[in-house]
Amino acid sequence: MSHRRDLRHGCRIGRAEFVRSVRGYTRDARRLLGLAVAVLFFGGQLVVTLPAAYAAGQSVRTATAVPYLDPVAVTLPVGLLALATLRTMERLGGVDAEELLLTTVHPRAVVIGLVLAELGRLALWFGLPIAALVVAFAAGLGAPTLPLTAGVLVLPLLACTAVCGYALGITGLCVLRRLPTLRRLLKGGAVVGFLGLFVLSQVAAHAFVERDVSVAGLLEVVSVPALTDYLSLAFVGTPLYGGVSPAAVAVLAGLLAVTPIGLAAAERSADALWFGDDGRSQPSGSTTAAGSGAGFAPPRPFAWRQSGRIAWGHLLRAIRHPQELSHLLMLVFLAGPVLGSLASGNDGGALASILAGTGTAVGVYLAGATFGLNPLGDDRPHLPLLLLVETPTRTLLRGRVAAGLALGLPVAVLVPVATVAAGTPLPVALGYAALGLGLAPAAAGLALGLGCAYPIYEPRELWGAETVAPSTLVLLGYSFVVLGGMSIWLVLVLVGLEGSLSPLLLAGAGTFALLTALPSAILYRYALNRYRGYTR
Amino acid sequence: MPSTHSPGAQPAVEATDLRKRYGDELALDGVSLSLPSGTVYGFLGPNGAGKTTTMRLLTGLTKPTDGEARVCGTPVADRRELVSQVGYLPETPPLYEEFSAREQLDYVADLRDIPPETADERIDAYLDRFELREDAAKRIGSYSKGMKRKTAFVQSVLHDPDVLFLDEPTSGLDPRAARRIRESITDFADDGTTVFLSTHILPVVEAVADTVGVLFEGRLVAEGPPADLTDRAAAGAESETLEDAFLAVTGGDDPVEGGE
Ligand SMILES: Nc1ncnc2c1ncn2[C@@H]1O[C@H](COP(=O)(O)OP(=O)(O)OP(=O)(O)O)[C@@H](O)[C@H]1O
Ligand SMILES: [Mg+2]
Repeated sequence: MSHRRDLRHGCRIGRAEFVRSVRGYTRDARRLLGLAVAVLFFGGQLVVTLPAAYAAGQSVRTATAVPYLDPVAVTLPVGLLALATLRTMERLGGVDAEELLLTTVHPRAVVIGLVLAELGRLALWFGLPIAALVVAFAAGLGAPTLPLTAGVLVLPLLACTAVCGYALGITGLCVLRRLPTLRRLLKGGAVVGFLGLFVLSQVAAHAFVERDVSVAGLLEVVSVPALTDYLSLAFVGTPLYGGVSPAAVAVLAGLLAVTPIGLAAAERSADALWFGDDGRSQPSGSTTAAGSGAGFAPPRPFAWRQSGRIAWGHLLRAIRHPQELSHLLMLVFLAGPVLGSLASGNDGGALASILAGTGTAVGVYLAGATFGLNPLGDDRPHLPLLLLVETPTRTLLRGRVAAGLALGLPVAVLVPVATVAAGTPLPVALGYAALGLGLAPAAAGLALGLGCAYPIYEPRELWGAETVAPSTLVLLGYSFVVLGGMSIWLVLVLVGLEGSLSPLLLAGAGTFALLTALPSAILYRYALNRYRGYTR
Repeated sequence: MPSTHSPGAQPAVEATDLRKRYGDELALDGVSLSLPSGTVYGFLGPNGAGKTTTMRLLTGLTKPTDGEARVCGTPVADRRELVSQVGYLPETPPLYEEFSAREQLDYVADLRDIPPETADERIDAYLDRFELREDAAKRIGSYSKGMKRKTAFVQSVLHDPDVLFLDEPTSGLDPRAARRIRESITDFADDGTTVFLSTHILPVVEAVADTVGVLFEGRLVAEGPPADLTDRAAAGAESETLEDAFLAVTGGDDPVEGGE
């Protein structure tokens, strides 16, 4: 009785959460535009893949010959589970209007609702294109029932992985809550961990390339026959049908049995998370500020000027709430592959120079990206204060720039200088350091302008904390401009230092300097105007 | 929905020695309460005294470090029973910005399993009463603070709870809306609902509360009918308002002087 009621409530909550998401996607013209771009991009890919799927359907004559069936049978459940776990830890650990739902229905209904809404979102983003592919394949095969049977077979798999992933994710959040030290370690360690993973993956990729281990070969190794058997059940009623294997039935039974167990586990953890202590309002880490007796006391170099004190405020907030900086991880994804291939192709001394250049590039990147990519969104809660105080807007923005420089400049200057010990020629190191000094402010101006052009105000729940992350579009645009510009500048400096200071090179460098400085200055002015626009 | 419990048979809210610790801070230090059904309990206390914490404990949203609480005889840990008996209006209205007030209220009625006709009737009546009818189709994201609070108030009483917990229900409301809430509170009490009301607006308490409890630093330092409290304060001072009583029991002997 109560199960049925929870399920009914869960369905209603799931529907409501899904509707809320859809309304969120289509809230304003900007989002609609982003959505249209995404649809066009992925829709365009379907133009190629649909005929391919159709052709594959026409040519396949036995189930074992279906392309990618083995790897899909393994990666599908594993991928779904991982996705559900990550999404739960990232976004679904709590529910909006928690106080309402938890005093209205049983927590189990809330868990069911959240999982159902997530499945709905998944179906909307990935389900539709995948369904189109399956339909095209079935059409090629001449088996109209295939989409139906495939859908029926995937359902238990989806339910099981979604529920178990939710249970894993929310248990993870519980563990993080219990172990504040672990959480603090993770905050700092996450970046290092990501970097490590990336280096590892690059090394692995190059090892594969060198030993001629093909991706296809690797995929062939990944196969669990029982799972493949299970997915092949979808071919019932088609020419490919090979009969029911006991393993497939066992998998189905397993999925059906594990789902309620996963739900029970999810409910227990959710209970502990939501009622154990004051949920999300729990301040992360300590509530008392270190040395709070002293008040707001920036250290020496920051204390000299007002913009410095403002910068210190930004830095302090970032230290106490590092999730605000999670957008910086994008750098790892963008630069990792490039660095990986550069590093594997060179040796010794060249490697040191590459490291020096990387340091400069990263420093310059950080100078803008850390605090500059969403200034209006970041400042929104304080705007009424900021715009009414007598501090000029200029100073406020300079404070933001200074905070970014305080983080970026040391990296941009010290890393190349430090690599001298590893074999970077001294002139190169000094040249790069000087380059960093010159370009970091430009990057900061660029970031402020881009960030003001496309501010994001809505806080999102990331890793159990509310943050306003910059728009992905701004982040990508900034990254490409800065990293692209940086690589040209680094090469220019290198060529210049090799002695061939031809007039042509000088002219080129001059033009490029103008091309760097001018847009940056213009964008900085633009940011200033956006801020001032609020007071007019 | 008439209460299934005969009035007077058992307290509507009963708490024994509730304690709540956040880290090394003791937010609640042994609070005991017993409210007969049908009373309006005015819950007073300075900022940070632990009023919201008490309400979260009594609605089962937070687990106490120590002690136990029952609402209409149901232990607050028994969520399945508890949810139909309590209504809770938190400090920040728990609403969905993407919904309109109408959708929000329909959704809550649906989750409460109120039959659609009854729900429609009640929602219409409340929307009229709080003058939300005209804006009922607009998204809540565009509402003012007071409109949000009114909507949240309606959603907390839709299912006719046995015990209603209201955390500062009138803050941010215009005089008319505040009066409507006050009238609603009295109406609910007349119908046998117990109202647990936290507020800083003392005239509201004076107007509607049968009993007043004053919380100070996590402890209940005074309890009784409003008149008794003011009398007690008057014994030591020249004036005799609830405000003086409040300042007397929560501030020691440094009553806050009026502005220069
Ligand atoms: N999630 C939490 N984590 C740590 N401490 C908390 C938490 N919630 C409340 N507290 C502490 O518990 C104490 C009581 O807080 P509570 O919110 O109950 O006060 P209140 O009486 O409702 O105050 P107000 O009148 O300002 O609403 C405060 O000292 C507060 O710092
Ligand atoms: Mg409060």
